[in-house]
Amino acid sequence: MFTRDMTFTDVERLDRIAAEAIETFVMDEEAFRAFYDRTARSVWSYLARITGDRTLADDLLQESYYRFLRAERRFDSESHRRNYLFRIATNLAHDRHRRGRHAVSVPMPAENEPGALVDGSDLAAETERRTDLARAMATLKPREREMLWLAYAQGSSHEEIAESLGVRKGSIKILLFRARRRLAAALGGPGAFTRSRA
Amino acid sequence: MTIIECPRESDVLDAIDSRRWPHRVSRELADHVAACEICSDVLTVAAAMREDHGATWREADIPSSGQVWWRAEMRARQQAIREASRPITIAYGVAAVAAFVLALAVSWFAWPTVHEFASSFASAQTTAFTSPLTLPLLVALGALLVIAPVALYLVLSDE
Repeated sequence: MFTRDMTFTDVERLDRIAAEAIETFVMDEEAFRAFYDRTARSVWSYLARITGDRTLADDLLQESYYRFLRAERRFDSESHRRNYLFRIATNLAHDRHRRGRHAVSVPMPAENEPGALVDGSDLAAETERRTDLARAMATLKPREREMLWLAYAQGSSHEEIAESLGVRKGSIKILLFRARRRLAAALGGPGAFTRSRA
Repeated sequence: MTIIECPRESDVLDAIDSRRWPHRVSRELADHVAACEICSDVLTVAAAMREDHGATWREADIPSSGQVWWRAEMRARQQAIREASRPITIAYGVAAVAAFVLALAVSWFAWPTVHEFASSFASAQTTAFTSPLTLPLLVALGALLVIAPVALYLVLSDE
């Protein structure tokens, strides 16, 4: 490879270019940190559940925020910003899925959760229920997993789901209905979850 | 026509969120859920997912915002520098090729004189030195070899 020494003017010029690159971020550091603190756990949970891989979720989290910062667009509201971030995360997860590097596995929930205020038997039952959910989720299509998670885990509205997934708002109802049917069946039919808690 | 939604879905979701389901919910809602397939599915799916979401949220071991910002900043800088350096590298490559071609051309045109000088030197004749063209030519060649790379460097390294 052709290499060369740089002159002072080269260094100054590249330094200026590097500084300008930061100025193109969609928000400054303070705003970003506040936004990240509000959204990162949701994004990580979403990525962990739709990919079924915690390590991959870690990587995609960083990548999602980087691409968000470099996005050349303006946002009207917090909701718009948040939906755009989820859209980036969704597209990254799709890319990984398409590249075949990753097959959806069944992640085992962490058992010794420090924040859990439940006794041993409750914890075991919760772990079992979560493992069942992970298995059932793994049988769904990626789009179905994403939609269900946004709707029922995060409580997003149909508009928000449509914006986050790049799907027409009019299609959400029927797609959500089908996905919900499939997941309920995979979980053991109507009432399966509440029966297991009784 | 298949019914895909029920007006009581939001009541079921409220009952899950407020932890009223299954023990502190009205008899009427419990009966409705038992009879309505849609609400029953909503209950199964939402209860499982909200429990999982809560646990996943607590388990999430995410890097700090400062760390993520710093990494993004470094990466943006590196990317910008890489992109900006590309044309300079290309220009230097082109300059190197041009210099090589120039050197070949000079050698080609100077070859008869050099050859003549070498022959005369080999046969111990002094005619080459006495030729009026030999000395200026040698000086020009030497100067070219010394000055050309320096000039090329100065021209290309300054904007």
